[in-house]
Amino acid sequence: MRIVVCVKEVMDPDAVNNYAVAGRLEIGEDGKTLTQTAIPRLMNGYDEQAIEAALRLRDEGADFTLAVISAGSDPEKMLKHAAALGAQELVAIQVDPESLDQQAFARLLAAQIETMGGADLVLCGRQASDDDQGVVPALIGEQLNMPVITVARAVALLDNQVRVTRVTSDGDQVVAAACPAVVTISNELGDPRYPSAAAKVKARRIKPTVVQPSDLGLSPEDIAPRVMLTRQFVPEVQGNCEFIQGEVAQMADSLIERLKADSIL
Amino acid sequence: MSENAVVVCTFEPGREGLPEGAEEILHIGRGLATALSAPLHWLILGPLPDRASATAGHYGVSSLQQMEDPKLLPSNADACVAALSGYCSDQAPQAVLLHQTLDARIVAPRVAGRLNKAVVMNGISIEPNGENLQLTASAYGGDTRVIYEVGPGPILSFIANAAVPDPSEGDPVSVENISCDLSEITERIEIIEQARFDGPRLDDAEIIVSGGRGLGSVDNYPLIEQLAEAMGGLAGASRPLVDEGWVDSSHQVGLTGRITRPNLYVAIGISGASQHMAGCSAAKTLVAINRDEDAAIFQYARYGLVGDALELIPELIRAVRDR
Ligand SMILES: Cc1cc2nc3c(=O)[nH]c(=O)nc-3n(C[C@H](O)[C@H](O)[C@H](O)COP(=O)(O)OP(=O)(O)OC[C@H]3O[C@@H](n4cnc5c(N)ncnc54)[C@H](O)[C@@H]3O)c2cc1C
Ligand SMILES: Nc1ncnc2c1ncn2[C@@H]1O[C@H](COP(=O)(O)O)[C@@H](O)[C@H]1O
Repeated sequence: MRIVVCVKEVMDPDAVNNYAVAGRLEIGEDGKTLTQTAIPRLMNGYDEQAIEAALRLRDEGADFTLAVISAGSDPEKMLKHAAALGAQELVAIQVDPESLDQQAFARLLAAQIETMGGADLVLCGRQASDDDQGVVPALIGEQLNMPVITVARAVALLDNQVRVTRVTSDGDQVVAAACPAVVTISNELGDPRYPSAAAKVKARRIKPTVVQPSDLGLSPEDIAPRVMLTRQFVPEVQGNCEFIQGEVAQMADSLIERLKADSIL
Repeated sequence: MSENAVVVCTFEPGREGLPEGAEEILHIGRGLATALSAPLHWLILGPLPDRASATAGHYGVSSLQQMEDPKLLPSNADACVAALSGYCSDQAPQAVLLHQTLDARIVAPRVAGRLNKAVVMNGISIEPNGENLQLTASAYGGDTRVIYEVGPGPILSFIANAAVPDPSEGDPVSVENISCDLSEITERIEIIEQARFDGPRLDDAEIIVSGGRGLGSVDNYPLIEQLAEAMGGLAGASRPLVDEGWVDSSHQVGLTGRITRPNLYVAIGISGASQHMAGCSAAKTLVAINRDEDAAIFQYARYGLVGDALELIPELIRAVRDR
């Protein structure tokens, strides 16, 4: 059995948010890309949790090969982290992410999964924290003809079935599907674990397999983008906050008075 | 006038006679159809919502189309994807617009994948750009906006929460049945346990009082619930409270939680990270309570109270009850 986890490298979203809040988030001369080189790049948080979901299945006794794959310009460091956590197969699909769209990423990842002999379970993050699209897993599902189950807080394997607890606005829902399937992981899964120091040292020597789109039988036309990012900008927040002053009780009274006067309460 | 329509697709019966976000997405669809001089069609997968016909009239829908089949439930992704893909292949719409529900988040990209078309989520607005369409969407949890250009026939999903002008009803539009053959479809996903939550939902609430990490401890969350109750609203939370297990995830407001649009949103001990604001910035009035006067949340607030939440909440409960 093989479980494939798809991981994407993103800019640290908390750092991006800190820059934004401080009014220092800047877009480069191309009008598209964030230029703050001080913002660290790391594994998308939900993807780290997708690896965690796989490791929990292993803890529960499931026997499988764990493959972690990524398409990007330089995912090697991130993949070593995955190796330290216990991934046995690591594949870096070498591409310039700026020139691709989600359809292209999904094609590359699906082709890689097929090339490596398929997967019984494909785990992804619910969305990448840079583009927030959350479409690559569904597109992979279509490519590989697998059902797609989103926003998992828990994943279990029973016989040849995957059973998923989903987080919905009406509370948790439990669904099941026969493997192979694509499952996306939500933050409710809980914190991912850290690799041990020894595992980290050992992982340093591991080299991910690097593949090019052509190795996967994909031509430049096959991965030509259908969605073109033409511009990115930082939205303005108007900021007309009226600060209510006074002692605690006064503040409370004044606020409620104002809300009444505005017919809000 | 172009033959090919702009199509708004809904597939949730909705609680109050209309699918969630139907009017907002029809409003966006109307705008695009007008800009393209194209007809606006409204495609309903599954049962016809009560107010569909009159609502269609109001938004200038020229054809109200329905695909009926017992298999067309929003949770039946395989059936919905087959139906919508078949429709798109036959009718070649200029664009298909959906309101971004959890189910739409699965159906939209799968249809696009099957048809090899562009797909974009988190849309805010759309306009033509020459032969193409130009869509503004949110990225980085709301820290940035991106403009995407797409060719003909894309599947586009919108966080449609802007206010709709004058949501009155117009002359009814008659319903056209579109046939679809789903006899070959067997859902690959089986629902073992249905989500069960019959209480009022944050998505529909007029007043929301949310607490964040500034509450300090789970023991203080009941203060939020008491204030919400006193105000006649519902209690919400930022994500860390859900991650810590203080409250269940149906309370989470934000990008990956509930997208709300109440009349009044009171944010207490919440810093104002973009991912939280994505779920509450459509509130008509936002009140922020934070002990840090530089907290980002004040940038979005109409009224701000700088102080200790634990001192302020009991006073607010008193002040509301006094009136
Ligand atoms: C991809 C992604 C998706 C996300 N989705 C969501 C989401 O859907 N919803 C969400 O909420 N977050 C989400 N987040 C997390 C988000 O980035 C923030 O980390 C989170 O919203 C912070 O929560 P908070 O404001 O409660 O906590 P903090 O940021 O820790 O802020 C606590 C605030 O309380 C104030 N405070 C402290 N003590 C007191 C006191 N005694 N009285 C008054 N004020 C006090 C502090 O000044 C501070 O401003 C997401 C993050 C990512 C990367
Ligand atoms: N370039 C990529 N390499 C590997 N996995 C990816 C890539 N892009 C997206 N994914 C996976 O798909 C999920 C959703 O991404 P997105 O659709 O871009 O929001 C991510 O959480 C990853 O699991």
